[in-house]
Amino acid sequence: MSLALLVAALPVLYWDQPTTTAEDLRRAGIETLRVPKERVAEWGRAGFAASPLTSEERALRVTLKPPGIAARGDLASATRRPWIDANGWRYLRQPDGRYFETSPRGVAVLAAAEAFVHAADLVLAIEASDLEVLGQALGFFRALPEAPLPGIADLVVVDDGSFATGELMNLLARRNLLFRPAARATPEPPLVVELGSRAYPKSEAGNPDALALKVRAQLSDERRSLRLFGSEVVLARLAGDAGRLRVHLLNYGGRDVEGLRVRVRGSWTPGAAHVLQHGRLAVEAVLVQDGATEFSLPVLGPYAVVDLVAAP
Amino acid sequence: MERRAFLGLLAATPLASAARADAASDPPTPPAYKVVTRFAPAAVPGMPGPFPGRVVRTRSPRAVDARGADDAAVVREMMERGMRALTAEASTLAAWRCFFEPSDVVGIKVNAGGRPFCVSSPVIVAEIARQLLAVGLRPEQIVVYERFFNQLKQADYAPHLPAGAAIHAAERGNRATEQRDYDPATYVEAQFFGEEDTRSSMMRLVTERVTKIVNVPNMKDHGATGVTGCLKNVAYGSFSNVARTHARGVTHTLSAVGTLAAVEPLRSRSVLQVMDGLRAVWHGGPFAPTPRYLFHPRQILLGTDPVAIDRLLLDVIDDKRKAEGAISIWDRSPASLRFNDAVARDADPNVNIMIREPGHVEYAGRLGLGEWELAKIRIEEIEV
Repeated sequence: MSLALLVAALPVLYWDQPTTTAEDLRRAGIETLRVPKERVAEWGRAGFAASPLTSEERALRVTLKPPGIAARGDLASATRRPWIDANGWRYLRQPDGRYFETSPRGVAVLAAAEAFVHAADLVLAIEASDLEVLGQALGFFRALPEAPLPGIADLVVVDDGSFATGELMNLLARRNLLFRPAARATPEPPLVVELGSRAYPKSEAGNPDALALKVRAQLSDERRSLRLFGSEVVLARLAGDAGRLRVHLLNYGGRDVEGLRVRVRGSWTPGAAHVLQHGRLAVEAVLVQDGATEFSLPVLGPYAVVDLVAAP
Repeated sequence: MERRAFLGLLAATPLASAARADAASDPPTPPAYKVVTRFAPAAVPGMPGPFPGRVVRTRSPRAVDARGADDAAVVREMMERGMRALTAEASTLAAWRCFFEPSDVVGIKVNAGGRPFCVSSPVIVAEIARQLLAVGLRPEQIVVYERFFNQLKQADYAPHLPAGAAIHAAERGNRATEQRDYDPATYVEAQFFGEEDTRSSMMRLVTERVTKIVNVPNMKDHGATGVTGCLKNVAYGSFSNVARTHARGVTHTLSAVGTLAAVEPLRSRSVLQVMDGLRAVWHGGPFAPTPRYLFHPRQILLGTDPVAIDRLLLDVIDDKRKAEGAISIWDRSPASLRFNDAVARDADPNVNIMIREPGHVEYAGRLGLGEWELAKIRIEEIEV
């Protein structure tokens, strides 16, 4: 799905409550719903754009795990690289897929942001206590300037549809190694990763984290289109062309990150950051040198987007 | 001006101290370090400063009373006599004026990680502040600092400082979510264990505000570095994202501690080392949540050479461990290692949670930060 369709691809709330909750939804600014078939008329009469989510459709949709982090017990206490549960790699792998997710309390905004960033078709069931923040997030997404830009990848992963390749994509995404799945090897990006090839034997798939690290070393950090400093729990997506760049930042940590440093290759002039739950903020400490542009975000909530234009 | 330096693999040549090590568990090969800073070194960098290889040790059995409280009058005398001896000045004021002038903004780098039982003594910190005021600084030109505010809060230095002196921390706690108080243009980049965030940035306080630093470490055992003294306190206490240097029983502190301490302007601005040895921790450090491993050397080490002071510290901690029947800080036996098991480590002084790297002191010496060889360290002993 093209990023040009971002606005049309906002995640949609699944709501199985009766219309006695209509005022709560209005207060949250939510007017479009998926509801049980038997409640469609009721919600329609209440003035909502309600369409049915049948049990058959729900069963056909890919069920996603809620995003977030889990502490890892196998590391010395001083070194806390947490395990990130993220769905971006699934959205990248199957961009035309249809997804369903049940978000526990406090996760709805991040789940919606993941889907928005990847223009994914997501139906999202949430806790009622998250209605207001979800409504704010959907309003934030709608208000963002449109940027119909293609995704940027530093490597191609040849997707054979296997679980092992999926796990590799998962681990690459967690390391912000920007990849593009492809049915077969293509020559454009600097690196092509194909499990089962001489360079990437299937025996290495048993440790996908080590394999992702190998890919990183082969690509080299200097050649990466994007690097983040100051957090291990923020994942990014990059889209752009010769004249414009859009950086999406998803914070899985559940806490604001202050002073995240972003490095993108090339000479760019960053505009303001649109930071969910914090508004429009000027980026800080912009530095353009050595073929890269760096800037810091004063604060990052669950999601932010920064647009950049090519430096003159 | 942007100055970049690329430090080589210094440790590829075996350290003299490695002779004590078990060859089966050699230190990890240092990564390639990339140092980015716009600061040039001072004509005489603060470390090792004007007195390389020189340490003044003042001791007093009365420094800490039977209840464990510091005696302010005794500590003051220890500090005054020590500073006069270090500088060969006749007056205490003249001694402090060797390092500071009224226009300075001075950071006092304390160590509050060993709260509640072993932090930089508020009495020593108060005495440093008193002497800085005597030099002519206003209270507003004095900043007590640490990386984490929750530690500083518990150590509670405020009642001991003149009104107007600042207490500053870069982060509220060790949660890796606050980076704004670190300078994004002054950092060390290296990859230790495949981590994505490969930068450690220097506190803005150091790069933008203070002109001089007094480093006030404790005498403590440390699970990664063997001991934590001058070098570890000023280096890991002034940079972000340093805990990434150890994982799964292995630590890169051998090279990282000295590398960070050598970055400008930290190196040039750290002009005075005041090691608080009134109390110490012989096991379980750098933390001290219980008094079980606490002891009282009742001494203060003064100098400008952090390597020389830390070289003495290695023996203080190791001798105490031997006296207690515990394994040496130089022990590299896999049999002693129960990585990531802090509960076992805290319960048993013969358990390491990682293979320690006390050789970091020698490594720092080889980076030019001071004198490592014991035979070349001149110690002046003062009894109070």
